[in-house]
Amino acid sequence: MSTTQSKLEKNHPLSKDQEDTRNPEKVGVFLCRCGGNISHTVDMAKLKDSIQAEFVGEFENLCSLDCRRHIREEIIERDLDRVVIAACSPITHLKTFQNYADLLNPYMVEMVNIREQCSWVHSDSEKATKKAIELTQAGVEKVKKALALDKIIRQTEKSAAVFGGGISGITAALSLANQGVKTCIIEKNPTIGGNMVKIGKVFSPEKLAEECSLCILNPIINEVINHKNIRILTKTNLLRAGRRSTHFKIILEKETGFVHEDLCIACGRCVEVCPVDVPDEWNQKMTTRKAIYKPFSQAVPDVYTIDLENCIRCGKCEKVCTMGAINFNLKSEVIPLKAGNVIIATGHESFDLNKRPEYGYHRFVDVISQMDLARILGVNGPTQGELLKISDGKRPDRVVMVQCTGSRDEKDDGKRYCSKVCCMVALKHASIIRERFPETEVVICYTDMRTVGMYENYLRYVQDKGIKLIRGRPGEVSKKDDKLLVRVEDTLERKPLEIETDMVVLSEAIEPSPSTMRIAQKFNVGLSQDLFIKEKHSKIKPVNTDMERVFVCGTAQGPKDITDSVSQANAAAAKVSEQIKNGTEAEPPVAVIKTSRCNLCGKCMDICGFKAVYRDEENMAVDPMACRGCGACAGLCPQEAIEIKGINDLELYAQIKGLLSDKKEKEIRILAFLDNVGYTAADTIGNNRLCYPEAIRIIKIPSINRIMPHHLMYAFEHGADGVLMAEYPDECMLEAHKAKIKELNESVKNQGIPSDRLRFYKAYAPHYRGLAQQFTRFFEDIAASN
Amino acid sequence: MKKIPYENILLFKSCLVNVEYPGVESSTRYIFDKLGVEYRVDPDQSCCTGLGYYYDLFDQLSTTALAVRNFYLARRSGHENITTLCSTCYAIMKKTIKLLNSNENARQEVNDILKKAGLSHMQYQAGDLSSENNIFHVVEVFYSLKEQIAKKIKVDLSGIRIASHHACHYCKVYPEDSITPFRNPMVLDELASSCGAQVVDWYDFKKATCGAGFSQRFANRDLSLSATSDKLLALEGETDILLHMCPNCQMQLDRYQPVLEKELGRKLNLVHLNIAQLSALAMGADPYKIAGIQTHSVPVEGLLDKIKVHTNLE
Amino acid sequence: MIKKDHKNDTDSLLEVVIKDYRAYPEMGIKRCLQCGLCTSNCPAARHSDYDPREMVKMVRDNNPEIMDNPDIWNCFYCYTCGSNCPANNSPCIVNQILRQKILLKGEKNTRIYKFLTYGYSYMDFGVGSIPSDFFDALVADFGQMYVELKINLEDIRHDLGLEDYNLKGKALNEVKSILKSSGFTNRLKKFKECHES
Repeated sequence: MSTTQSKLEKNHPLSKDQEDTRNPEKVGVFLCRCGGNISHTVDMAKLKDSIQAEFVGEFENLCSLDCRRHIREEIIERDLDRVVIAACSPITHLKTFQNYADLLNPYMVEMVNIREQCSWVHSDSEKATKKAIELTQAGVEKVKKALALDKIIRQTEKSAAVFGGGISGITAALSLANQGVKTCIIEKNPTIGGNMVKIGKVFSPEKLAEECSLCILNPIINEVINHKNIRILTKTNLLRAGRRSTHFKIILEKETGFVHEDLCIACGRCVEVCPVDVPDEWNQKMTTRKAIYKPFSQAVPDVYTIDLENCIRCGKCEKVCTMGAINFNLKSEVIPLKAGNVIIATGHESFDLNKRPEYGYHRFVDVISQMDLARILGVNGPTQGELLKISDGKRPDRVVMVQCTGSRDEKDDGKRYCSKVCCMVALKHASIIRERFPETEVVICYTDMRTVGMYENYLRYVQDKGIKLIRGRPGEVSKKDDKLLVRVEDTLERKPLEIETDMVVLSEAIEPSPSTMRIAQKFNVGLSQDLFIKEKHSKIKPVNTDMERVFVCGTAQGPKDITDSVSQANAAAAKVSEQIKNGTEAEPPVAVIKTSRCNLCGKCMDICGFKAVYRDEENMAVDPMACRGCGACAGLCPQEAIEIKGINDLELYAQIKGLLSDKKEKEIRILAFLDNVGYTAADTIGNNRLCYPEAIRIIKIPSINRIMPHHLMYAFEHGADGVLMAEYPDECMLEAHKAKIKELNESVKNQGIPSDRLRFYKAYAPHYRGLAQQFTRFFEDIAASN
Repeated sequence: MKKIPYENILLFKSCLVNVEYPGVESSTRYIFDKLGVEYRVDPDQSCCTGLGYYYDLFDQLSTTALAVRNFYLARRSGHENITTLCSTCYAIMKKTIKLLNSNENARQEVNDILKKAGLSHMQYQAGDLSSENNIFHVVEVFYSLKEQIAKKIKVDLSGIRIASHHACHYCKVYPEDSITPFRNPMVLDELASSCGAQVVDWYDFKKATCGAGFSQRFANRDLSLSATSDKLLALEGETDILLHMCPNCQMQLDRYQPVLEKELGRKLNLVHLNIAQLSALAMGADPYKIAGIQTHSVPVEGLLDKIKVHTNLE
Repeated sequence: MIKKDHKNDTDSLLEVVIKDYRAYPEMGIKRCLQCGLCTSNCPAARHSDYDPREMVKMVRDNNPEIMDNPDIWNCFYCYTCGSNCPANNSPCIVNQILRQKILLKGEKNTRIYKFLTYGYSYMDFGVGSIPSDFFDALVADFGQMYVELKINLEDIRHDLGLEDYNLKGKALNEVKSILKSSGFTNRLKKFKECHES
C-alpha cells in the first residue's frame, strides 16, 4: 500500500521538493459548538483531545465577532501559519473565516464541515464524534499541504469595440463613453442608425401612441457624433480578431467610397450629375438613388459616398466637386484596433420573402413587407407618408396583413422561433392607417396575437380604432382581375375565405444576419441553434457570450424590439464597465500553463467548454476569468504542463488519506467527490436533518474532471470501499465529462476493482433527497456485498 | 443538390403510362438512348400499387412487401437507381424505403411475409437502399442533363408558351427531396426553357392538385372536376401547352378538358404533353411512333402544325 | 369539448395515428398550431365541407365523431397540407389512417367495393388497372375515343416499340404468394363480404 502511495506522490511534478524545504507547519484548529447544533451530537471534549495540532480550541459560536479576536490572538501568540475551522459549510462561511484569519493567506484557511456533514445527519453520538475527529484531522493534514496563492486580479484595457451602429450599438457605446471608456463603433453601412431610422414610427404602449423614431434617435446620434470618447467607423468590416490577456487585437478594413470624409461638405452637387440610377435600399428599393449618394438626409457621417458596385467611373462627380473631396484613387484602408472588450450589436436581417412564393411578394407589386409599409408610411418615404399602392398610386380600400411569414415554421426554409415584434409592428401600422386613412380597412390574419405584458393595452387601443382580426394563417395570395385574393381559413368560424384586397402586407420574420455569424466566428463566439449569438445563460448572464469580455445586445442575440434592445445594450455596457473599472478578481481554482513545458498541441483548447484556453501570439494561455479550474485540460495535457492552482495534488492526497484513516475492521468508508452544486445539495441534506450513513466522507472539488485515475487508485489503496462522484451536468463540459467518466471507469476496471464501487451521479441543488438516497443506497449495496 | 445517376437505371414501369400514355415511356427511352443514359426495363417488375394504396384498398405492408420484391429485381440486375415515370411510384417507393430503414417492426413483418411466400432470398435489411440515393423521377435525370438536351433540340419552340404542372406526389410528399425548391418547383419550367419554349411564370393554382384525387375521380366526380377546372380556367388563354410529369395528372387534365369545354361551351385552347413527349418531339421524334400522341383526348395535331412537326407515318 | 378516453385498454385516436405505418417519426400532430394553413390550401376544403384542421383537432381531442364525418372522404391525397405545415404535420396522412381504420371496422364498404377490381387485376397480372366498375362512367365522359383506345392499345404499344407489361409465370406467382401471405387476398375477401352481407 505504501509503495503505491510513494510512487504516486513521486510521480507528481509538485511533490517532494516543496515538501522538504519547508519548516514543520503550525496548524491551529478552532472547533465550533455552534450553540449546540454541533455539540449536542458531537462530544466536543473528546474531539478536542483527539486532534493533533499546534493548537486546538473550542468555542461556542466561532462566527461571532468576538471569536475574530480569539482567532487573531492565537495566530499571533502561537505563530500559527495555517488554520482549520471545524464548524459549518465553507459555502456560507469560508469568506468569513478567511477574513477573521486575515493575518494569513486566505488559502491557508481550511474549513471542515462537522455540522451539515456530521452533527445534522448522524444521530449516534459516538459514531458522529468519531467521524468528526476524522474529518477534522483530515482537514489538518490537508491544510498542511496548502500553498499560499495570490488572488488573480485582471485589469482589462479601458476601451471597447462595438460592432454595429444600430440602436443597440449606439446605446451601448454612448453609455460606455459617458463612463469614460474609449469606444469605437464599427458599422458596415455608410451610416449609423440601423433599422430604427428606417421604420419611421415606433409604438409606445404607455402613451398609446406612435412616436417619430428619428426624432427620438437624432439627439442620441448627435451625442454620439460629438462625444470625445467615441470614434465612428462606417463602411467598415472585421478582418481578423485575436485574443490577448488584457485586450483583443482587431484588424478592420474600411472600404473606400472614393470620397474624403473630412473634405466633403455634403452639398449634393455630385448627385445632380451622376447618371447611374440604383434601387434605393433606404426606401426598400421602391425608389431609386444615384451611384453617389447619402443614404438619407440625416445620415451620419454627413458625407456622400460612392457605391463601387454600381459606379461607372465616368468622373462627372469629381469634376463638379468644388471641395476636391472625390478621388477615384482612394483605396480601402486597413485599421488596427486594440479593444479591452467587445460588444456585438450587429442586429438582424429580414426573412427573404422569395422563400414564400405562394404569397407573391415577387409577383405582385402590391404585396409588400412590413418594412416596405413602414417606408410608405414614413413622411420621408417614397409616397411622402401617403398610404398609396405602388402599382397605381391609388389609396387601397383594404389592407390585409399576413402574420408569421417565415416565423413559427418548422420546415427547413422557415424559422422555428416567434419573431416577437411582428404582432406589435402590424398593430402599429394598423393604428397609423386607421388614424390617418380611416377609409382604408385593415385585416390582420394571425396565428396567435402576442402582445405580452403592457403591450396588451396597445392591442386594445388599436382594436378600438376598428381593425378586423382573423385567426388563421393564409395559404396563398392570388390575383383576380385587379384585386389581390388572400386565401385563409377563419379558424374560429371554420370557414375557408378568399379575402379580396388591394394591398397585402407580409410580416416578415427576423433572421440572424450573415455578418453576425462572420463576426461570431472570428471571435470564436458560440451561436444558438437558430444561428443568433448565444448568450452565456439566458436567465443570469443574458449579455455575456461564451467568450470572456465579448458581450452581445440587440437582435444579434435574438428577435426583440427596441425597448428590449436598449435595455440589453445598457446591460452590456454595464458589464463592460464592470470589467474595466476595478478589474475583476478571479478565484482559484484556476488552471495555469507552464509555457516552458507546453508543446502547443492545443488539446487543452479543444476540451475547454468554457473557452478559457486560447492561443496568444506564441503561447497557449488561460483566461483566469473564464476558467473554472475544473481540471479537464490538466488531465489531458501530454506534457503535464498545466497546474490547477487552488487545489493541488498533495492537498487531495492528504485529504483522501485523512478521511480514510483509523478505519476499523469491517467498517465501510465511501468517499464522495462533490462539485459545488453537489456540495450545496449535501449541505441541504444537513439543513433538512436527513440521515445518511457515517461512512460517507465528502471532498469538495471544482469538477470531476479534476480527479485523475491515480487519485482514484490512491483512494482505493487506502481503504475506500466506494467512490461516488456527483456533479451538475453543465452543458459546456458534457463531452469532457463523458470522456472523464469513461477514463475513470476503465482505470477501475483495469485494477480489478468491481465496477459498482465507482459511481457517478448527476447533482441538482433542489434534488438533495436524491443525493441522500444515493449515499444510503451505495452504503447498503456495499454492506450487502461485503 | 442530390446526385443524379446516368447509368444502372431501372426504368420503373407505370400502370397509367402503360395504358393511357404509353408514348411517355417510349419518349423517355428515346431521350435516354439519345443521351447515352444506361437503363433497363425489367419484364418481371410489378406495379407500385400506388393507385390501390390511395384508393384505400392496399395496406402499407402489402405495398411494402411488393416493393421489396421490385427492389430485389433492381439489385439482382445491378440497376439500383430506380427511376420512375410517375410521381406516385416515386413517392410510394420513397415511403417504402424510409419505413423499412427506420422501423424495425415493419421491416420484420415484411420479411416474414416474404419468408411465408417462399421468397426469403428477397428479404430486406436496413440500409439496403436509401430513399435519397436510389429513388428518382425521370425528370430529375432530364434536369441534370438539360444542357445536353438543349444541344439536341431540332424544333423551334420559341413561339410556344408552356406552363408547368408539377405533380403533387413529386413535390409535396417529400418536399425536402425535390430537386428544385418545393414551394416553387421549377424542374419542368427549366426543362421547357431548355427546349427553347417561352415559360409561363407562376399562375393561380400552379401548385394545386390536378383534381384526380385517386378515388375522387370515380367516387366523387363533381368534386374532382371542380378542382380540375380551377386549374384549367386559371390557364385559359395563358398558355399553349400544360407540361406534365405524371400520367395520372395528365389523364385528369387531358381527358377531362373536353368534358369541361363541353360544359363551358368553349374551347380552352391548350394541349397536354408530358415533359418526355415534349423533349422527344423537340429532339425530332415522330409524334405517333415515339411520342404517342394518338392516345391523347385533346388533339395535339394543331400544335404540331404550329411548330412544324410532321410524321412520316404512312 | 375534449373527450377523454376512459378505456385504458384501447389507444386514443392520436396514438392510433402516430403508431400507424403510414405515419412518419417526425410527424408533428401533437404540435399542431391549429393555424388553418392546411385548410386554406386544401382543394377539398375549397369545394366541400372538409376541414383538415378540424379533423386534426378532433383526432387530438380523441373525438370519435370524426369517424362518422362524411367529409373526410373528400380528401384528394394531394399532400399539399403537409408540404407546408408549420408544425410538420400531415393531415393528408392522418386522413389516410382514419379511412383505413374505418374500412377495417367494416364500414364504408360500398365505396371500397367498387375499387376491388383494381386488387383483382393486380392479383391476375401484377399490375393495377382502373377499376372496371367505373369504366362506363369514364366512357360517358371521355367518349367513344376511349373505347377505341382500349381496343387498339396493343397495336399502339407495338408501334411504339413497347413490350407487354403484364406479369406471367414465375413472376406472377411470386406476386400472388406475397399478396396471400401479406393478408391482402383476405383483406379483399373481407371487404367484399362486408358489402354483400
